[in-house]
Amino acid sequence: MTTGSRFRPDRSTVGRRGFLRIGGGVAALAALPPALTACSDSGGGSGKLRVVGVADQQKPIEELVALYRKSRPGDEFATSFAPTDQVQTVVRTQLAGGNAPDVHVLYPGSGSAMSMVELAKAGLLADLSAQPWAREVPANFHPAYQHDGKTYLYSAGSSVIGAIHNKKAFARAGVEPPKTWSELLDVCAKLKAKGTIPIALGTQTPWVTQLITYALVPNAVYAKNPGFDAEMASGKAHFRGSGWADAMGKYQELQRRGFFNENPNGTTYEQQTSMVASGRAAMAVQVSAVLANFRQAARNPDDLGMFPFPGGDDAGQLWIPAGIVVGLGVSARSRKSAAAKEFIEFLGKQENVDRWAQSVAAIPFKRGASTKTDPVLDGFLPLIDDNRAVPFMDQSWPNAEVQPAHFAAVQNLLAGKTDVDGALGQMDEAYGKKS
Amino acid sequence: MTSTSEKTVPGAVGTAGGGPKTGRGRPVRHRDHAVPHWLFVVPALVVYSIVVLCPSLAGVMYAFTDWSGIGGFSFTGTENFRTLFDDGRALESVTNTLLLTIAVVVVQNGIGLLLALGVHTGIKSRALLRLIFFAPAVVSPVMVAILWKYVYNPENGAGLNGLLGAVGLGSLRQDWLGDPSLALWSVAAMVVWQYAGYSMVVFLAGLQGVPAELHEAARIDGAGSWQRFRYVTWPLLAPALTINLMLSTIGGLKLFDQVYAATNGGPGTSSETLSTVLYKEAFVYGKFGYSTAVALVLALFVAAVSLVQLRYLRAREVTA
Repeated sequence: MTTGSRFRPDRSTVGRRGFLRIGGGVAALAALPPALTACSDSGGGSGKLRVVGVADQQKPIEELVALYRKSRPGDEFATSFAPTDQVQTVVRTQLAGGNAPDVHVLYPGSGSAMSMVELAKAGLLADLSAQPWAREVPANFHPAYQHDGKTYLYSAGSSVIGAIHNKKAFARAGVEPPKTWSELLDVCAKLKAKGTIPIALGTQTPWVTQLITYALVPNAVYAKNPGFDAEMASGKAHFRGSGWADAMGKYQELQRRGFFNENPNGTTYEQQTSMVASGRAAMAVQVSAVLANFRQAARNPDDLGMFPFPGGDDAGQLWIPAGIVVGLGVSARSRKSAAAKEFIEFLGKQENVDRWAQSVAAIPFKRGASTKTDPVLDGFLPLIDDNRAVPFMDQSWPNAEVQPAHFAAVQNLLAGKTDVDGALGQMDEAYGKKS
Repeated sequence: MTSTSEKTVPGAVGTAGGGPKTGRGRPVRHRDHAVPHWLFVVPALVVYSIVVLCPSLAGVMYAFTDWSGIGGFSFTGTENFRTLFDDGRALESVTNTLLLTIAVVVVQNGIGLLLALGVHTGIKSRALLRLIFFAPAVVSPVMVAILWKYVYNPENGAGLNGLLGAVGLGSLRQDWLGDPSLALWSVAAMVVWQYAGYSMVVFLAGLQGVPAELHEAARIDGAGSWQRFRYVTWPLLAPALTINLMLSTIGGLKLFDQVYAATNGGPGTSSETLSTVLYKEAFVYGKFGYSTAVALVLALFVAAVSLVQLRYLRAREVTA
């Protein structure tokens, strides 16, 4: 085959001067974007405050940004949201690259790669201690908001884990929300006899796996030994051989009695939501922050209620898990640090804390005269006020590996691939790893 | 391919008059200080170095550190590699990766070949069928995984279980993604469904390159259809087979999207692959140094397997 062109392979067609001219042009083009960026930076970046949040918190953040801009129409925002795992990946990569958003999602306490403690230790968060709201954070929430005595996290408050239930399904079986573990077993048996799945469980979605253990551990562990976390940290206590074994045993008992839907490991959170919303299942152990999703899936949102999941047999001494909800932090390297802090200060005003908390069915970390909480949380407030609420367990774990180990352990337990001792052994192994 | 050796430049073709001219008719002066050809590679090489080479080399360096992805780091020698070879989860993921790769390579290419033979015939709807079989290959793997999560819905009346029940095969209903002994194979089936059409296209290209006269000669010699396939088509499909096996092996060894979106490596760690492990180590556990060591081992493993495979497959290729 011959080519039609008459190209000479042995000689170049561009002279040195031409080449240098082209090279100079390419170099100028390459230099252009940084130069343009430098120009805009002198005026304060693109002029927009970059906010990256988790998808679950999109509604309150967007509402509050809109409200903030009403009083400051000149301030522009660039907001974006993604589900938990994606937002963690993106923001962590941006933090590593030195181009983190001005305000970004931040997880309370420790125990995750994007947790407040982890990022504060690396010097990546701006100190928010001087903000008026920071002084009003109750002392028992300090481990979630503070590191070394400085506040780095803004969060509207705490969400609780309990049983979201379908009132119609309960009425069909003629049962009321149980107040003790024995009553729970009795209610589940009656629901099952009526052909209703007592508890919908979607453990194919990893974070759902942990909720039943979290609901049971406050009674099984912290009600008996409030200093358990400190004992774990010092190596005196372990998951294996502690009240965790009792909690995991109860988890297994619910499965053994057939109170879950078939194949929970193949069922997703979305399917779990649909089961309860439609009344095919009577309840799901869930975090109050997702109540909005259940209501959205239900024909009538008022069909759904929520009650504390009874982990013990003394109704007057019931303990519950209440964890600080995912919040926001300000990047220590933000060029708009002042504007970012002003926005956070705005979020910290009582009425805005209330707005955010109400939007995700959370309990505000400070309550004013005008504070209204979601009525479904009424059953939880007395327990919180009586100091019978413990933070979500992962918020005090020393590294990011324990929580995924817990997910895997529960999935293996439900699949019959391990026993309680083996599952807790997996968690102890992860707990012992370096952070 | 040959080129002419006339002293002209591109654009001078068709111009009249003595000596080379540009397209605009101006005579071209050859310069004595012409630029060596290799200089043309420099801009591309610079960009490639910045985008690919430098990060890769930096990655190799991070494999010997305790970097968490943020902040500083210190060198830890070969600790990450020693941890890797003692890490039960990582070793389980190697087994899973190999099993998944073998299943995908064998089944995907087997089905791809059958599809290619099917649509290489003279049936009227062959163009439409080729389109239908190839279509999944252009869909995002994550979308495919989400779609298949509906297919694998464990409820009796839904998805694949519903279909099995409807055709009287209810006893075969399974918890496709929730059963630790099945999850990996369910993911493999999903990958095969997506890429069998891709293998089909490559085999089809190979089939279309088999000269008709060879088949005719074999037919005259009394060869039946199986013998024609075995002794004419199959040997001449060797280059297509090489490409398909190479692509599916490399794809299988670094499979991530479908596994992550469908099972996230679970239940437990039963469908964890090397790629999901290295992702989790980096972005979930914040162990970038260790994760980079896993990535380095994976890259070397893929390179070694590919080279051995290429050498073997090339040796058995024949041409018409």
